[in-house]
Amino acid sequence: MIRLSGRLRSAVIIGLQGIRARKTRTLLSMISLFLGVLSVTVVQGASQMAQRAALADIELIQGIDGTLVMSVMGTPEAAKATLRSLEDRTDAVAVTDFRAIIGEPNVRPVNEGGSPFDEQWGGWGWSGGVRIECDPTGYCYEVIDEQYLQTPVGAAIELRVVGLSGDIRQFRPFRLVTGEWLDFSTDPSYSPGLVLNREAAKGFERYRVPAEMRIMGAAKNPTPRILGVVEDGNPLPTAYVRLDEMLNWVDVDAPADPYYGGINLEVYTQPTATETLQILRANLAAVGVGEEQLYVRVIDSRKQVEQMMLILRLVFFGMAGLVLLIGVAGILNVTLATVGERVEEFALRRAVGTPRLLLAGIVLAETMITGLFTAAAAIGFAALVFQVAGPILAEIHYSLGAGPFPWEAALAGVIAGLIAGLLGGLIPAVRAARIPIASVMRA
Amino acid sequence: MTTPLVQLIGVTKTLRGQEQPRPILTGVDLTLHSGESVAILGRSGSGKSTLLSLIGLFDRPDGGQYLLDGQDITRISDGKAAALRSAQFGFVFQRFFLLKHLTAAQNVAMALVNGQGWLPRRQRREKVLAALDQVGIAHLAKHRPARLSGGEQQRVAIARALVREPRIILADEPTGALDTETGNLVVDVLRATTERGCALVLVTHDPDHAARMGRVLRLRDGVLHPETVPALSGAPTGPVGALPDRGGGLTHVPRHARPAENEEVRA
Repeated sequence: MIRLSGRLRSAVIIGLQGIRARKTRTLLSMISLFLGVLSVTVVQGASQMAQRAALADIELIQGIDGTLVMSVMGTPEAAKATLRSLEDRTDAVAVTDFRAIIGEPNVRPVNEGGSPFDEQWGGWGWSGGVRIECDPTGYCYEVIDEQYLQTPVGAAIELRVVGLSGDIRQFRPFRLVTGEWLDFSTDPSYSPGLVLNREAAKGFERYRVPAEMRIMGAAKNPTPRILGVVEDGNPLPTAYVRLDEMLNWVDVDAPADPYYGGINLEVYTQPTATETLQILRANLAAVGVGEEQLYVRVIDSRKQVEQMMLILRLVFFGMAGLVLLIGVAGILNVTLATVGERVEEFALRRAVGTPRLLLAGIVLAETMITGLFTAAAAIGFAALVFQVAGPILAEIHYSLGAGPFPWEAALAGVIAGLIAGLLGGLIPAVRAARIPIASVMRA
Repeated sequence: MTTPLVQLIGVTKTLRGQEQPRPILTGVDLTLHSGESVAILGRSGSGKSTLLSLIGLFDRPDGGQYLLDGQDITRISDGKAAALRSAQFGFVFQRFFLLKHLTAAQNVAMALVNGQGWLPRRQRREKVLAALDQVGIAHLAKHRPARLSGGEQQRVAIARALVREPRIILADEPTGALDTETGNLVVDVLRATTERGCALVLVTHDPDHAARMGRVLRLRDGVLHPETVPALSGAPTGPVGALPDRGGGLTHVPRHARPAENEEVRA
């Protein structure tokens, strides 16, 4: 070990002396290698940023990696048991969807079916064009409401309202755009406070609508308050609301959704919330919801994104690799010429007892240190570009301009520099090790 | 009877790779003890350098036997030969082979930074300064070869050979590129190494330099023959401050001639 360490140190010391003695050649090698290392650094940096952007979007919609999501479908008793289990718990949040139309009564919303405002997906059935009727045998069927179809489109906006039993942002990191987020520490208000997503905000900006909220399954129409706007990654108009404020108007026992009936809850929990889950499972079992009726999934957004990015990354790395290979050819060329000129030096070093392996090590140390210097220059350049381009990229996607220069890109640059140095120095190193010692006698 | 340091018994070497293989050494016998100095004379192409390269383990003999300290090293491996060269041998060549981008001290340190063991920088520096001091040019430690005269450069090369305190110095025409006076000084420095038990093999064309060795041998027809050399024709070396006297003892280098204690000498 000591021997290896001694040889390594010797190789590095002599390598550095060699670099210092041949500054112009080192610079030439660095120039030939710079673009290759830079391309690897940029590809890695860009893919990290793209992954960061994709991950940010997926996390907004699906949740942060490791989050457990339990679907509780079934009876009103199950919903009540779930909400009771989560009272005063901060490590789990119950979520449920409502469909609502805010605006004039007795008109069809401008975005029937809750579609984005610049697109029309249809969906009048959801908005009230279809109703469910059941016969005495219990068979249910859809009935088209002809009267509804005659109703004119008016100043009303249809949206999905998501009721939350607690702060969901620990699982889905919504970014506050303006206003404020829901405050769960106060008593529930009879005027439900809504936090809109960007698409819903677009609708309210574009259309002036009265503050009356028709909620499917509710007997009365409350007057909502708009608290703020968040980025939630959802292209559909959506609003977030405290579940307890919604339950002032919607009865858990009544079917909120004409298609599914009852309140269907999803419970987001932290992976460490074992006690909460135990209590929840026990309370659900007490109302007849068995383990087999619970569907639990673990959010694995990163894996999903990585699979998405893999092919793209391979293609770009292939191209960067080609550019790097050209750089390797450059450093190989320069180093071969240098070794040719240093025959006497290497023969002399062998004469004073330097083993062949160390001679090879000296050449490799020189090329790898050159590779490292190049990597440092390329990383510095890429980081500078990142700093300058950050604000521009942020306009394309909020997550692109945020955060520091990806360390993975710097690491890729260092690895690329070392590999290029190794590849470029390998043949010259073998050649140096083979220089006959007698060269020094014949000179 | 002590074991000889170097013993060659019937060593042969044929040069190949040409149209006709050419026998260079046809049966060389040589015995060398510690503290002994030997001069080898011979015409150009007679095989003096080849013999030196065999003794210095640059190459292996085709036949015969090579004993170092009584150990047969005729067929020693490359790695072990490198280790022996580092530990036992010091080499001085006609051309000084100093690396122009390194200072005198760094050139000397080359023999210490060779992958055969590791010395901390401080110890390296001490050894390098001691070796330069031994050849009287410690004050030139920070100079690059371009700023040194031929004699000074050769003394740096000798310091490089001495820095590992070798047991055998092999010098291949070390005065060939020097004027007579400087050549004499260099031979004096080399001879002085035998005073501390180092064996010296000097290959030379100069009978005067040969005459100052303990023994003189002539390589003729691939075999070493004892030679009687006439008395020295030249005067002993002149009064050069920091050089050995004729007796071989090393003259003390004045303290003020050395680099200051706190002056950094990279080695």
